[in-house]
Parts: sequence; C-alpha cells; structure tokens
Amino acid sequence: MYKLLTWLGGIAVALFVPFYLEGFWLQAGLFTMSAAIGAIGINLLTGATGQLSLGHAFFLAVGAYAYVYFAAEPEGHLAGLNLPTPLAAVLAVIVAGIAGGLFSPIAGRLKGAYLGIATLALIFLGQHLLFNAEPLTGGYNGRAVPPMELFGLVFADTPELVILNVPFGVLERLWFLGLAVLLVAAWFAKGVLRGRPGRAMNTIRDHEIAAGVMGVPVGRYRAGVFVLSSMYAGAAGVMLALVFQRTVPEYFGMLLSLDYLAMIVIGGLGSVAGAVVGAVFVSFLPQLLTRYSDALPLVAEPGSGGVSPAEAARILYGAAVVAVVLFLPGGLLGLATRIRLAVTRRVQLPAELTPSPDSRS
Amino acid sequence: MTGSYQPDGTATLEVRDVTVRFAGLTALDAVSLTVEPGSVHAVIGPNGAGKSTCFNVLSGVYTAAAGSVRFGGAELTRLSTHRIAALGVARTFQNIALPPRLSVRDNLLLGRHRLTRAGFLSAGLHLPAARREAARHLARVEEIAAFVGIAGRLSAPVGLLPYGVQKRVELARALCMEPRLLLLDEPVAGMNGGERAEMAELIVAIKESLGISILLVEHDMGIVMRLADAVTVLDFGRRIAGGPPEEVQRDPAVIRAYLGAATDLEEHA
Repeated sequence: MYKLLTWLGGIAVALFVPFYLEGFWLQAGLFTMSAAIGAIGINLLTGATGQLSLGHAFFLAVGAYAYVYFAAEPEGHLAGLNLPTPLAAVLAVIVAGIAGGLFSPIAGRLKGAYLGIATLALIFLGQHLLFNAEPLTGGYNGRAVPPMELFGLVFADTPELVILNVPFGVLERLWFLGLAVLLVAAWFAKGVLRGRPGRAMNTIRDHEIAAGVMGVPVGRYRAGVFVLSSMYAGAAGVMLALVFQRTVPEYFGMLLSLDYLAMIVIGGLGSVAGAVVGAVFVSFLPQLLTRYSDALPLVAEPGSGGVSPAEAARILYGAAVVAVVLFLPGGLLGLATRIRLAVTRRVQLPAELTPSPDSRS
Repeated sequence: MTGSYQPDGTATLEVRDVTVRFAGLTALDAVSLTVEPGSVHAVIGPNGAGKSTCFNVLSGVYTAAAGSVRFGGAELTRLSTHRIAALGVARTFQNIALPPRLSVRDNLLLGRHRLTRAGFLSAGLHLPAARREAARHLARVEEIAAFVGIAGRLSAPVGLLPYGVQKRVELARALCMEPRLLLLDEPVAGMNGGERAEMAELIVAIKESLGISILLVEHDMGIVMRLADAVTVLDFGRRIAGGPPEEVQRDPAVIRAYLGAATDLEEHA
C-alpha cells in the first residue's frame, strides 16, 4: 500500500513537471530517463547475473544509429530506409538485440570479469564503425535524428502545440514518451527479476555450479540475459538520439560504458530501483555542475581551462563509487532500505531477524 | 533390474569403473558402485579419498576420463549438469551453495526450475500463465518446507539463517526438484548433536515417505551405520570395500585406511 502510494505520487509529480520546469531541466530529466533505461539493462546483466560488460555503450550506439538509419530519408551519400518512426524505433531495439545475440556465443561462455574484458573489444569495434561506415553513420559529424511521429503527434518543435498555456516543444513532448518507455522498461525488468528467470540469474551470480545442478542451463541463460540487456541499451540509445536530435560518434565510447557501471554500483546492484537511483545520480550531476559552474568553487566554465563541469562530475562520482564500495554494499538503495529497516525495527522487531536460540554458527 | 527404466518410480544408479584425473593426480581410480532403487547408499572414506569428486562426476560438474555412469536408461558421463538435473538427479553441497540474499521461498522455487516453463518474455510481461504456474508450484514448495521443518522461515533471506537451518534449506531445495535420486554431500557436517539427530530423522523420513534413492557422503559413522543399507569405502581414489554396514565396519582394509596399518598402531602403542 505504502509502495503503491509512492509510485502513484512519483508518477503524478513526473506528469506535471513539463508544465513548470524550463527546457534545461527537462533535457537533464530526459537524459536521466534514457540513462535509467540503459542502467536497468546493465543491472540485469551485471547486477543480477554477475556478468560484467564494458560494451554497453556499443549497444546504445547500435540502437541510436539503427533508429536513424531506419527512419531517415536517403540524402546525398547518407543511406536511410524512411520507415515510419515507431517501426524504426522497434526495429532499432531488435537490431541491438541481434547485435547482442551475435556476441552471445562469447557472452554465454565467459563469466564475470572475463566477459568484461571481451566486451571491451566491442567499444573499439563500435568506434571504428561509427567513424568509418559513413553512409550509415555520417562519420565524424554524425547524423541528424528524424523526430518521432506517433499517432499524428510529431515529437519536434513544429507544428506548435500549446497545452494549458504552456508551449509544448520537443522536450515537453518527449518527456511523456520517455516516461512511458521508462515505466514499461522498469515493469518488464521487475517481472523478469521476480520470476523464474530472476531466480536463475541470481543463482548463476552467487553459485554457478549450484545453478547448473538445479537444472538451469547456465550458458543459455547468460546469453539470453546478454541479449535482453543489449535490447535495453538499444532502447536507451533510441531515446538518447531523440533527445539529442543528433548522433555523435565519440559520445558512445569507453567513458559512457563506465558511466553505466558507476550508475548501478552507486544506485544498487541487481535491482530496478537501484539502476534508476544510480542513473539519476550519475547523469544529473554533470548537468547540475554545468548549470551552476559559475557559483561553484574549483569548477571552471566549459572551455576556459581548469576543471570542466563534466570532469568535476566524473571525479565526484568516481569518489562516490569508491565510497559506496567501501561503506554501502547495497548502494544508495541499500542505504534507503537500511534506514527504513532501522525505523521499523524501532517500532516492532521483525520476528525473522531476531537471533534465534539455535543460531550458533 | 539392471539398467531398467522406470519413468515414475526410481531407477538403479550404476557406476562402472569411473576414473577421474586432474593433471597427473588420479582422484578416482576405476570406482564402481550400484545404488538400488529406494535404498540409502553411503560413500565413506578418509579426507581426500575422492568422495566429493565422485559426487561431482555423478552430477556432471566433472567429466570422467573413463568409465560409465548409468541412471535408469541414461548415460550420465557426457551430459551437462542441467541435463542430469532434468533426469531427476538432485544434490546438496558440502559447503552450502545458496544465494544468500534470496529468500528461502525463492531458493526453494529455484528447485522447481526444471518443472516450470516461464521464460524472460512471459515473466517480463507478467503474463497470467506465468503467475498461475508460480502459484501452483508455490503450494508444493510450502508443503516441502513444512516436511523439512522450515515452513516458518519462507520469507527470510537465507544468509540470515543459522547454519543448521541453511543445511535444511539446501535439502529442501533438492527435494523441490522432485528427484528420483538424491545426492547428499555431508548433510550433518558442522552440526551439533541435536541437529544431527534431527537431520538423520529427516533423511529416514525422506526415504520412507518419498521412496527415492539416496546416495550419501558422510564422516559421521553413527549416522552412516544408522541410515545406510549399503556402504562403499574409498581410499586414495580406490574402492577398498563395500557391502552392508555391519560387514564393512569389521573389514580389516577399512580399519587400516582409517586408523593406519596394524604395525603402525603397535609402534605408536
């Protein structure tokens, strides 16, 4: 009941945000939503199944560029299929899944940190392709992203749209789309984690041999989770492209993959809420620092030399990762749970957590 | 009886001349044993005798270099762990292998993995079929939990439970697979007297009410003599004796393996 109310309250607030906040905050919020979708995906893989991936940025790039390719009109030397944009978005997610599937013979056989090293190769492969497969990717300059068009509503600044005296530009419109996609992504992942696959994934993470002996086909599960996590990354990539309105190749590099790992470590490994909390922390921080760079000590304006807001944010959440690993094993979400437990314990001691007389280990 | 296949009942486990080598070290050397349907068979031996290696071959964790393991009509030596599980072979581990943060309920439901079907799509989409399946199997899980005596602990994360209870959870998880053959790797290791007696009673109850074959590795001779219908003794990877418990107990080779040769004894006396 308490949980349901928090959810409904959160959704209600999120629905009213575009009517009150300016473009900057909306854009920061949309980046966060896209990051949250991607973070849920990597948390399924790394947090819940124990499979490290440094290649998440590659699958974001696949999603973003595949959307552009499917949706764009062919123009000059740039290729495009000019498909309806919702179809292009769905196909982009599927293509990201196929890309993950092509890697799954490796993803199914390698475990933990070894997979992390193997996926590192995807980053370099991705960067090479993005810069050199010009007809598809536009090379160094990237490509313009065709706006999404859903049931006659175009997610762009034109045609003009005014709701309750608030002009609805691209960010306001995308806000609702992003919110819907994030909610579906979170709902799906929660179902997976709570159900039969989630139990198998957690057991593979904690006791691989036990999982196999209990009848879980470990390799097949690892490959399946890898594909699913790639599809989440693909969806995050499509969202990101729509918000950016332009795809830029160097964005999808190593640092983006590390950002995603930082998100799930800071937020809390293995859960949907942890991924979302971490995404808020990691993708909001640089925006906040950029916004208030003139008021903050030690942070310089971008381009003026000194520590730029983006660098300052990286230093800050690098420190946050270290702090979480040392002091908060469950991440920010674990901290919240601990506080809640401490509060409820003061009210009433849960029977199952009290030391029983037969505990001698 | 040999190699007969009984889909609904139990089947004979036949281990023939199984050899396992780890880079020059022969952990198991042409070991043979037969577990009759519905019986309790104990494997004993000093530390390092190859008992756990034997279990790891039976459950598919290790591959045998030579020999055959037949259960019912199936040859197990070339099968992967999850395929052996699908044949109804369940096991527990010497060192508890439970995901500590999952609740007892989720751990037991994992035992139902081979009997359930919900995949990523139906679980992710919260399909009614997946929910009905979970509810149906949860009912059976609760029954088994009550049988093993952990019914009151279903919501607790396993990692917070005392050691003796965790051992029971592991046994319950194996029972949740509805096995035809149960491999128990030192079920009472590290337990105190009271817990040992309770666990022994539980194993007797499993044998009597469920009628499944049980293969047991155990150091506690009191438990072995009380539970086992037949005993196989291993030493340095070789089978040195076998037969009914009271016979094995008197076997000079067994006494030598456990206590050293008679000459050694005299020297130390």
